[in-house]
This record gives sequence, C-alpha cells and structure tokens, in this order.
Amino acid sequence: MDQAAEFRESLQMVRDSAAAVVPHGDLRRIRALRFTDPGFDRATWRQICDLGWPSLALPESEGGSGLGMRGFVVLAEELGAGLVPEPLVPAAMAARVLSGAPLADLLAGTSLVIPAWQERPNSLDPAADTTLRNGRLTGRKLFVPMAGGADFFLVSAREGLALVPREAPGVMLVLDRTQDGGTFGTITFDHAPATPFPGNLDRALEEAALATAAYLLGLSRRAFAITLDYLATRVQFGQPIASFQALRHRAADLKIQWELMRASVQSAAATLDLESDLPVCRAAVSRAKARAADTSLFITRQAIQLHGGIGYTDEADIGLFLRKAMVHANLYGSAPLHRTRYAALALEEHDA
Amino acid sequence: MPDLSPEALASLDEPAFRSCIREFLVANYPPALRNPPKRLHFRDTKPWYLTLSRAGWLAPGWPREWGGMGLSAARQLVMIEEFERHGCARFNDMGITMIGPLLIRFGTDAQKRFFLPKILSGEHIWCQGYSEPNAGSDLASLRTEAVLDGDHWALNGQKTWTTLATDANWIFLLVRTDRNAKQQQGISFLLVPMDLPGITVRPIINLDLHDEFCETFFDNVRVPRENLVGEINRGWSMAKALLGFERLLLGSPKQASYALARLRLLAERMGLADDPSFQDRYTRLRLDLADHKALYEDFAEQVRRGESLGADVSMLKVNQSELYQRITETMLEIAGENAGLLEPMGGNRELHPSGLFIQSRPTSIYGGTNEIQRNIIAKNVLELPG
Repeated sequence: MDQAAEFRESLQMVRDSAAAVVPHGDLRRIRALRFTDPGFDRATWRQICDLGWPSLALPESEGGSGLGMRGFVVLAEELGAGLVPEPLVPAAMAARVLSGAPLADLLAGTSLVIPAWQERPNSLDPAADTTLRNGRLTGRKLFVPMAGGADFFLVSAREGLALVPREAPGVMLVLDRTQDGGTFGTITFDHAPATPFPGNLDRALEEAALATAAYLLGLSRRAFAITLDYLATRVQFGQPIASFQALRHRAADLKIQWELMRASVQSAAATLDLESDLPVCRAAVSRAKARAADTSLFITRQAIQLHGGIGYTDEADIGLFLRKAMVHANLYGSAPLHRTRYAALALEEHDA
Repeated sequence: MPDLSPEALASLDEPAFRSCIREFLVANYPPALRNPPKRLHFRDTKPWYLTLSRAGWLAPGWPREWGGMGLSAARQLVMIEEFERHGCARFNDMGITMIGPLLIRFGTDAQKRFFLPKILSGEHIWCQGYSEPNAGSDLASLRTEAVLDGDHWALNGQKTWTTLATDANWIFLLVRTDRNAKQQQGISFLLVPMDLPGITVRPIINLDLHDEFCETFFDNVRVPRENLVGEINRGWSMAKALLGFERLLLGSPKQASYALARLRLLAERMGLADDPSFQDRYTRLRLDLADHKALYEDFAEQVRRGESLGADVSMLKVNQSELYQRITETMLEIAGENAGLLEPMGGNRELHPSGLFIQSRPTSIYGGTNEIQRNIIAKNVLELPG
C-alpha cells in the first residue's frame, strides 16, 4: 500500500471509531441532554478522552495521532453528524496550548479545560483587555461554550495566557441558554488567582474555526440524509414526494452545495497540515468557515421546508439540526467576518 | 366619547374611519400584548376579545343582522392595517373568520341562531380541523371519516395542526362521508363540540418551543346529525368558496416590515449600520420590501374596488414569506454568537435574531406551501400545459 492509501485508510479508521460515541441515527441521548446543566455528559467526555480525541490533531511527538487536522476534521464531521454536545473543539484548542500536568489531566479526562478568549461578539481576536498582574486575573469573557462543565478556564490576558480554576474566588459565571440546548458562559474575573501559561492561541483558534466548519459539514450531511429519506417515504398525490421534479432539483442543489463545503473543509485541513505560513492557513480557514456557515444554514433551512409542517415541530429530529447550525454557524467567526478576513489577507495568488 | 357603533362608523369617510380605529386601539388595546413574540392563548387575549365584542367590532365582515359590522372588504382592510400597525396580537379568530362566514352563507337558520351569538360572546372558541398526518399539501386525500348511524355521525380519525385546540371548545372538520366518490366530492363539513367522549387533544411543541399546534384524535365520537353544514359531500367546495379577500393577508408585508425594522436595530447594536457591505444588503432588502408593498397595493386596490382575487394572489404569499426569511437570515448572519441564544440579547425582545429566524420558517409552509403556491401560479395563472 502506498503512503497516500495508508493515510486514507487511517482517516477511515478515525471515521469508524466515532461510532463509539455517535450511535447511528439515535438522537435520544442528545435530546435528553438539551437544556440540562452542563448540557453534556461527563462520562461520555471521559470516553472521548479515552479514545484520544482531544489530542488527535497534535503531532505524534506531543502524543497526537499524526493525522493532523485532516484526521481531526473527519472526527469533527462525525460528531456533527451525531450532534454530539461534548466540548471537543474547545478542549482540543486548550490541548494545543497546554503542556505538562495540565495537559495530561485534560487528556486523561479528569480535568476539562475550556478556553475563554473572547471579549467582543463576532470576533476572532484573542487580544484582550483582561489583565494578569501578580498572579491575579481581572476582566470579562463572553460566549464561552459549555462553561458550566469546565474545571479550568484557559484565559487570554494582555500579559499572556493563564489557567484559572472555575471554583477559584473572584470567578463569576453566568450561563445563557443556546438554541441547541447548550450554554454560553459570560465569565467575570475579579482578581481571580491564576497560573500564567506560555504560548498563544493563534494556531489553536484557526484549528477550532476549521473544526467547527467540519462539525457543520457533518450535521448538514445527516440533515440532508434524513431529508432524502423523508422525500422517499412521504406520499402525497399518490406518489413519494421525491418524484416531484421541483423537489428533485432542490435535492440536487443541496448535494452540490454539500460537496463544495466538504471539499472546502478538507482542502483547508490539508493546508493547515502542510503549510506553516499563518496567513495562508488563515485564508484557507476563512474560506472553509464562511462556506460552512452559509451552507449549513442553507441545508438545514431547506431540510425544514422539505419536511413541511412536521419539520416545524420539536419532536421531529430535523429541527435539532437547524438549531445546532444556528449556534455553531457564527462560532469562531461568522461568514461575513471570515469573508472580510479573507479579503484583508490580500493574498498574491489570484485563483483566476 | 364619540359614537363608535358600527352604524356610526359606516357614515364616516375613510380618513375619519381610520383615525377612529386608531384612537380606539390606543385607548383600549392592552399595551402588554403589543407585538407578542409568540402566538397567544385565549387566556391572554380574552379581555381584548371581549372588549371588541362589547364594542360590536369583533366581526367586521359579518352582516349587521348577525351582529357583525357589515364592512366592505375595503373598510375591513383599513381595520386590519390599523390593527397590524398597532401590533395587535392575533386572537382565537377561527369562529369569526371561518365558522361565521360559513354558517351565514351555507348554514340553516337554526345553526345561525345557535352558533353566531355564542361566537360573538366568546362562549364558543373554535379551532380548525383540516390537515391530517397524511393529508397536508394533498388535503383532498383526507381520511377522517363520519358514517351516519341513526341520528348521529360516528366519527373516527385524526387531525393535525389544529392550532390552539387546547383553547377551543368547538372544532370544525372536513371529513370523508363518501369513500367511493372522487376525492374532493366525498367530503363534508362537520361541527363538533370538543367535550364529546372519544376526543383527545395533544399539544405539539413547535420549533419555537411553543405549544400552539395540536393534534386531535377522534375515536368513535358520536356527533349529532344536525351538526353537518350545508349539503352532504359538498364540504370541499364550501371550504373553497370561503377563500375570499383574506388570501391577500397571507401576502401582507407586515412580517417583513417588522423584521426589517428589527434588522436595522440589530445592525446598529452590532456596530454595522455604516458598514458598506451591510448597507448594500440592507438596502437590497429595503427595496425588496418597497417593491413588495407596491405589488401588494395592486392586489389591495382590487379588493377595494370590490373585485374578487384570482389565483395570481399566490405570488404575494411566495414573495412575502421568502423576503421575510431573507431578512431574518441576515439578522442571524450579522448577530455573531448572539444568533445562537435562546432568549433575546440582554432580554431585549427587539433584538432576538434567533426567535424571528425560527418564526419565519413556517411562513413558506403554512397556508399552502410555497411549492404548492408555485404549482398554482404555473397551472392557473400561466396555464402551462401538463
């Protein structure tokens, strides 16, 4: 077997391994966790850690799989297809930065670290007003996903990164519910004791944005598959509605859009694995994330429409996909933000 | 206090009529119920219902002899415009808009005398039983069946999207009364009290996490024979005959107008008001709305002239619903992470991109899906072969 074939086989093994956490077509666990605290299941999180997923994208020398982002997007796609709420993407972001005992505890599943980097809506900029002085952290962070389940926050401050236990004095957490049944945390740090940590979030943020695009890719794939099943089984006017040309053409359009999203995400993953130049990586991520945000909402909206009235009920699974897309489409940068960033990177290469 | 009786209103010219309505709303409409984010239940709208009832304003389109206002379609439109402008909530209006007109046109005297006053007093609250799980776009394939057994109809089957059925004490149904006739020709119109044995109502939680939808089950329900309206097996054509100028309202620009104003507020809040690319998109939507209003006015003018609407009014419904959706999609796109919140930003109902986005979804589904509307345009307006 040549190297490329071997790599493809490894990716397939990652895809297959996701079935351990993503039972095919069974969303009962996902429904049961919606609007609960913290919105995901700690036992499943430990299982995810046992499978080595938070470090999957890391180099082999740092305990990763060596499959890089190409491996990680395959995994994120599968988790998206199953609407898995466990916070793998933020935890993998932390794993990219951490080292030593905090990393080991994170990867062992004993301590969940969630990055808290954002201070303004619709931003990808971890530059902060938060300050870290004499081991005390002061500032406010927004939109921290699944913050209620974190043991530590990895916080960006002007002076650098810092680790803060959730239960530390001076840490105040307010949770807002999200459409998919999870939460965003707003965290206020008031002279909270913190441990400085070296490094920055630049690379980790790109990976999180791309993994989110892959998650959207997966949820769109599943929403589309459910919709195709519905078109084939729903009978009106004496025939399956899949036989009506208007709906067949709509389905064909959704297929084209999904494949464009897949190609965009997978090629961006390869760029991140093979390119060291940050602007080139950022352009690839922006291209993929802008498309994933738009297309995932397009596909899930159309999925509701093609289901008709039943699609507008909470008991039909298809709505879970729309609500998940509504939350994730704008995480780690909305489509307009990524288009603007792509244009500003002013790459010399013109894809004429 | 000016005389606001239907008789007095009828003598006013249009501007005076309009300002009368406006003043009445300011004086009487409960402020807390303006522009509600979700469809309200009768427990919330009942005081307003009774206020309208006492004023004699509950049934603008009914003839005065039956307690209505006897307004022309043109005047009814003025009233609807002012109610919309004020942000009045829709109440449980099926008795007023569907059953009243049906009985006035096709009912017996006994039915009119029994039902109409009870609708006006708020004693009877109606819900509609048309759609079934397997009869949506293809409504004529409905299978809920009524079989005559002595002095009663034995009723069996299931209806769905029986909106606000939990509020209602009566339901009107399209039921199959002749299994052997061609689909549309074996359907009758039946009036059923909801407290009869064998009726079960189950609320359906919708995507907006609200319980306005219901499904309603009928298991050997015995309905008095005289509760059939009009001729047996003529229910389909009666239901169609009821589709009057109200079809215009499905294409009313009100939802898109409301959403566009919210988009503007949201853009200001997100610091995008002066962003050139947002400005272009916003202006595009604004022009779309202005042009939709122009098209809507053409149809409204037809109604004002007393003409009946043709199949081409379907264009309004398609265009309005899709414009409304484009606006809410833009809201979602510019809201950043706020787009994912379950509750409005900072509790401010004006800034609730995800709520409006979800609420705009079914507008291209209910009242005949946009796919069905496009079929109507192709078949009945363009008269395409096939």
